[in-house]
Amino acid sequence: MENLLILVLAIPLASAIIIWLIGINTKTVGMLHVLASVVYAVVAMMVVMSVVDGERHFAFNEMLFIDSLGGVFLSLIAITGLLINMYSVKYMDWEVKKGHLTDKDLRLFFALSHLFIFTMTLSVLANNMAVMWAAVEATTLSSVFMVAIQKGKRSTESGWKYIVICSVGLAFALYATILLYGAGFAVIGDGHDAMLWTSLMDNAKLIDGDALKLIFVFALVGFGTKAGLAPTHTWLPDVHSEGPSPASAMLSAVLLKCALLAVIRYYAIVGNSMIGFEYVQSMMLVISLVTIFVAALFIIRQHDIKRMFAYHSVEHIGIIAFGFGIGGPLGIFAGLFHSLTHSITKALAFCVSGNIIKIYGTRDMSKMGGLIKIAPVTAVLFGIAICSLVGIPLFAIFVSEFLAIKAGINGGDYLAVALFIIGLAIIFVGVFSHFNEVMFGEPKSEVDRTKIELSANIPLMILAAMIVVLGIFSIDSVTMLFSNATKIVLGS
Amino acid sequence: MDLLSILSIAMIIAALAVFSFRNYKLAVLTYGLQAFILVLIFFTLSSAHDIAELTSWGVIAILTKVIFVPFVLLRLLKKVNIKSEDEPVAGFFVSPIIAIGFSLAIAMSIYPIYLKFSLVQEHIPLIAAITVFMLGIFGFILRKSAIKQILAFCTFENGIHLTLALTAYNSPGIVEIGILTDAIFAVIIMSVLATRFYKYFGSMDVSKASSLKG
Repeated sequence: MENLLILVLAIPLASAIIIWLIGINTKTVGMLHVLASVVYAVVAMMVVMSVVDGERHFAFNEMLFIDSLGGVFLSLIAITGLLINMYSVKYMDWEVKKGHLTDKDLRLFFALSHLFIFTMTLSVLANNMAVMWAAVEATTLSSVFMVAIQKGKRSTESGWKYIVICSVGLAFALYATILLYGAGFAVIGDGHDAMLWTSLMDNAKLIDGDALKLIFVFALVGFGTKAGLAPTHTWLPDVHSEGPSPASAMLSAVLLKCALLAVIRYYAIVGNSMIGFEYVQSMMLVISLVTIFVAALFIIRQHDIKRMFAYHSVEHIGIIAFGFGIGGPLGIFAGLFHSLTHSITKALAFCVSGNIIKIYGTRDMSKMGGLIKIAPVTAVLFGIAICSLVGIPLFAIFVSEFLAIKAGINGGDYLAVALFIIGLAIIFVGVFSHFNEVMFGEPKSEVDRTKIELSANIPLMILAAMIVVLGIFSIDSVTMLFSNATKIVLGS
Repeated sequence: MDLLSILSIAMIIAALAVFSFRNYKLAVLTYGLQAFILVLIFFTLSSAHDIAELTSWGVIAILTKVIFVPFVLLRLLKKVNIKSEDEPVAGFFVSPIIAIGFSLAIAMSIYPIYLKFSLVQEHIPLIAAITVFMLGIFGFILRKSAIKQILAFCTFENGIHLTLALTAYNSPGIVEIGILTDAIFAVIIMSVLATRFYKYFGSMDVSKASSLKG
């Protein structure tokens, strides 16, 4: 298993180097990109399968490890990442044909995609807390030129905001890491072990309470900035809306969850210490509701399709945080499960927005219309993404939202649940008015009626099928993985 | 007052000067001086407390922070050919006062918690570390210039580095390498983006980039 952990890191790193260095034609680069993504996904899923039953494996002198909690997030990188990378080949080819990008930009984009996957994988596998911080910071550095790959004012502005705001936020997370080490070392007495999450969890009850309170505040501000929690979410709508659609999909569907895993690791240490879960839950609950309402206000007045989906990312990160704010086995399970359901839904949403932008040549939804007649397949995929995003029954996100509400009611958090439902209701109304604008009526701008190839839509169909399957069926191995991940957070 | 305390206070003053100087070249050179003071603190701590790790940290910091980072920033200045900063958010006079006031207040309120677990029990260097970190954070908030924001990043990175040296110098070597590598790449990427920024906006004033609101 140690070899598999090393391999799952080596594959995307080697892929990035090979794609960047080998000067081959666009078609071959695309094939290599997909092939590398398939190999990575297979190895990553082998790693995930090994921890479904709650086992954990270590590598590199315990600095890397995989447990069920890491397995949840590694599966997101593997599955969602693969499908987004498959979609990106045709989409990026279109960007080149339209003259938005050059062949060299395309190669850079694909190479960076794999470097980005490497950094996200490292952040998930890190047992050493400082390595986890460095990996999360490296996700920004590796993805900034995926976002700002097009030259121009808007992409430069988004790239600048991305690196500046996330770097400031993560500086606080590094301060949390240093203090955690100091407080952990005072108890553990070994420099190597005091940096390991597994050792810190084992000794959580002995670590100084005042230090842990400050550590959690800094970690929440720091990694929360990267995850898109309000009020430091301001970089997210700009960055997620400006990059090419596959970059937006990767950032929203996978990256935010990796940053959230870092918050969860701190949540678990502080929750299992003498401070207890009440402290971390109350902080998560307040911040989650603020995040949901901030997102709701912006979603209602949004006409840019990608910005709308970007604010949806803010909202859904708030929903995941809400699950952890409610806490307990069901609340944490709901939060973790929402990471999966939102990941596949948002990957579909951003990729399908790529199709829609191809058709209308604009991101402004007020200039769209009649999608159902122009491109029925894209319209159905868009419909599935929207229905899941707003939490309609039989679609994946409904399940996790329902579980979060149930956990809140069981725990007697009636006010929080009521505010949560009001926030979701505002978003529901806002999104469906935009949905009608795009789907029905007549188009209000020039329309490119070139049929979108089936091969471009296959990854989106798989994502749509997963959304429906997870909305209707309960899959034993998935439930077991998430239950074991929940137990890890609860320290049981 | 001992040498360590004098160097720590000098580091705060240098950080404040980086924040305050309107002339970019002077601000970059002062950053180099601030980094050099950090190196001197590493060497002083190393000899006073017999910490071999900090000698190597000091040597690495000379190469990266004292030489490489100022080189990258001076090259950026030469490329865009601008001399001085536009008016910051709260004015040239008021913004440094706000920054140092709040930075010291925050440092004084949280340093006792850090001191409790610090491997090196030195009060003034720890206060300096947190103050310099916060000065960097306020640099981001109060300055509108992209170059000043890069310098703010480098400044808070120095504050973090000093905190790390005082609190966790015995952590695995990979920790220092990881943090430093990220910082170096961040400066390079920010410099590339700042050059691009100047090309498209004709200015280093980031408040002029406002096409992505709402």
